[in-house]
Amino acid sequence: MHELTTTRMNPQIDPTLHIWGWEIPVYLFLGGLVAGIMIISGYFIFKERYKHSYFSCFWLPHISLLLLSAGMFALFLDLEHKLYVWRLYTAFKISSPMSWGSWILILVYPTLLATTLTRIPPAFQNRIKVFDKISTFINQHPTAVKNIGVLSMIVGAILGMYTGVLLSALGARPLWSSAVLWVLFLTSGLSAAAAFVHMITDDVYERELLAKADNGFLIFELFVFAQFIIGLLSSTQMHQNAAHLLLNGPYAAVFWVFVVGMGIIIPLIIQLLAVNHKVKHTPIAPIMVIVGGLILRFVIVSAGQYSHWASAGL
Amino acid sequence: MNTIDVAAPEDIEERAPVEVIHKAQPFWNSYLAGIGLGLVLLAAFVIMGRGLGASGAFSSLVSVGINVVSPEHAQANGFFSENLGDGVHHPLKDWLVFEVMGVVVGGFVSGLFAHRLKGSVEKGPRISTGKRFLFAFLGGGIMGFGAKLARGCTSGQALTGGAVLGVGSWAFMLAVFAGGYAVAYFFRRQWT
Amino acid sequence: MNAPFFKFGLFGDEASLIVAFIIGIGFGFFLERAGFGSGRKLAAQFYFTDMTVFKVMFTAIVTAMLGLFWLSVLGVVDLSLVYVSQTYLAPQIVGGLILGVGFVIGGYCPGTSCVSAATGRYDAMIYILGIIAGVFVFGEAYPLLKDFYSSGAMGKVTLPELFGVSYGLVVFLVVLMAVGGFVGAEWVEKKLAAKVKGVQQ
Repeated sequence: MHELTTTRMNPQIDPTLHIWGWEIPVYLFLGGLVAGIMIISGYFIFKERYKHSYFSCFWLPHISLLLLSAGMFALFLDLEHKLYVWRLYTAFKISSPMSWGSWILILVYPTLLATTLTRIPPAFQNRIKVFDKISTFINQHPTAVKNIGVLSMIVGAILGMYTGVLLSALGARPLWSSAVLWVLFLTSGLSAAAAFVHMITDDVYERELLAKADNGFLIFELFVFAQFIIGLLSSTQMHQNAAHLLLNGPYAAVFWVFVVGMGIIIPLIIQLLAVNHKVKHTPIAPIMVIVGGLILRFVIVSAGQYSHWASAGL
Repeated sequence: MNTIDVAAPEDIEERAPVEVIHKAQPFWNSYLAGIGLGLVLLAAFVIMGRGLGASGAFSSLVSVGINVVSPEHAQANGFFSENLGDGVHHPLKDWLVFEVMGVVVGGFVSGLFAHRLKGSVEKGPRISTGKRFLFAFLGGGIMGFGAKLARGCTSGQALTGGAVLGVGSWAFMLAVFAGGYAVAYFFRRQWT
Repeated sequence: MNAPFFKFGLFGDEASLIVAFIIGIGFGFFLERAGFGSGRKLAAQFYFTDMTVFKVMFTAIVTAMLGLFWLSVLGVVDLSLVYVSQTYLAPQIVGGLILGVGFVIGGYCPGTSCVSAATGRYDAMIYILGIIAGVFVFGEAYPLLKDFYSSGAMGKVTLPELFGVSYGLVVFLVVLMAVGGFVGAEWVEKKLAAKVKGVQQ
């Protein structure tokens, strides 16, 4: 992207924003997915279910390290002056959501590391002495384990929320200036994470539990969508135009078919029947949830850039 | 060293749930399924003023693919450029493309509810899987070619055109059955 | 007279794509219910052992045809706004013959191959790759085929117009023909089932 030296009146901003490409939605999705995973694995650790070899406590933190790094790489690709990326961490501007975001990610990595150390998988034991020592120390103090679980849940929630807060702070884009955007992103991340774990775990109990959790998150996400749209429709003319972009405008087909239809409603029906043992568990439903979450981010970023304050009266 | 005991789950809720085995249900009565299909087709006519289709989605898909690989070639070719649309709408935002996506979802959902989902190969007992794949690819290629020549396949031309009594569509339908019966004998080893 | 709804402006292009998706779900659902997710069942039509393709297809055509006829008589649907594709007799007949050959060799048609692939049949997935190849070959050969592709043009002609009889009469005759066909199909199926049983004894 071209860095802007003027603040207005250039084709990248007027009449619609053309700044963010695919990198930002990919990062938003991966960030939300990792946030959801941190909450889920934090919960499992907190409830001391790590005593049983549940996938959530075992390999999940390692996978989330990989996923988050992929997301950060996508963010890095979006930067215009890539060599100066380190400057993000030389200051903390308390009034800037972007600055908050960079520093939150500094918190996330140690939390993920601590989560991996609650139980080192046999393949990785006896490799790095420091990790083994820390792991033993943690396991000798049950309160430490519980605190790591809680920390994982809290930092995960913050990670899932801050991207929504960041977008909704950008008041110039009417579609994003909604009070529930962070709730939407957090719920979408949680449901994608639950679907992800439900899909790859071997343990039957864990699969059933996470499928039920995913159903709950999907139903809640429908309500959040309703609140999001209603909030926009009850606001100024520009906000209503922005909402109509999704409801019956140029993004309507993609929104209703991919995000709501194939991303929420159809997998919800399939998973509801599956947890009630009416049909077999299939990996297709969680894949639909995950892809739906990714497309949701693309739609919100793209439609958000398209919506603008100059559209009043058009 | 790690000194964790892998204890068995103590809570009652952590008993592993029983896996239920589902048997495949029989197919619906042909006439009932036909009526259902006919009602969907009628709904398309009444709501949209057009019928169903399938091969058109493949034209769009191939044209978009060619355009991605080599835009000049796509624009120069009459067939591909026609399917790329007018430049205003993305060619994949096409009625048939969305309809075919619905077909995939509907087929999956029906198969899931009837416990008929199974990774398998449809073939007769007298042929190997490899040969079946070869014939499937060949058959698909021939059918793709024929469908584009006739401007439709059995869903678009035969079902839709047949219901509105188009002359070409009825001729097409008779030709499909004639062509099929004519060569059935030569491929009996694949199916019986 | 307010149908077809889209043609009367009830909703726009974007909503029509959502309608397409929903109608497609119904289409795929009933195709799979009829058993068309199985290539063996489809191909058995051409060996007279299983007449499901004929029965389902003609039941669907008759249902939709009767529905359109009666709705137009009742004044609900404006038939002139319903899309009838142009007739190009020569390429449609030749294309139909080729399609029939492809049907027997491959075991599917484009719609049913999607349904079959959705339920996990690997040969259907390969068939879909074949369709893409076939469409590509046609596209490449299009400059050579262009004249034949547009030959035999008769415009948007329907059977009643061709034979100069009334719409209702053709509908009636088609229904008669279909019922006769169904009786014949049932007879053929029973006869072949008895033959198979006889062989097994």
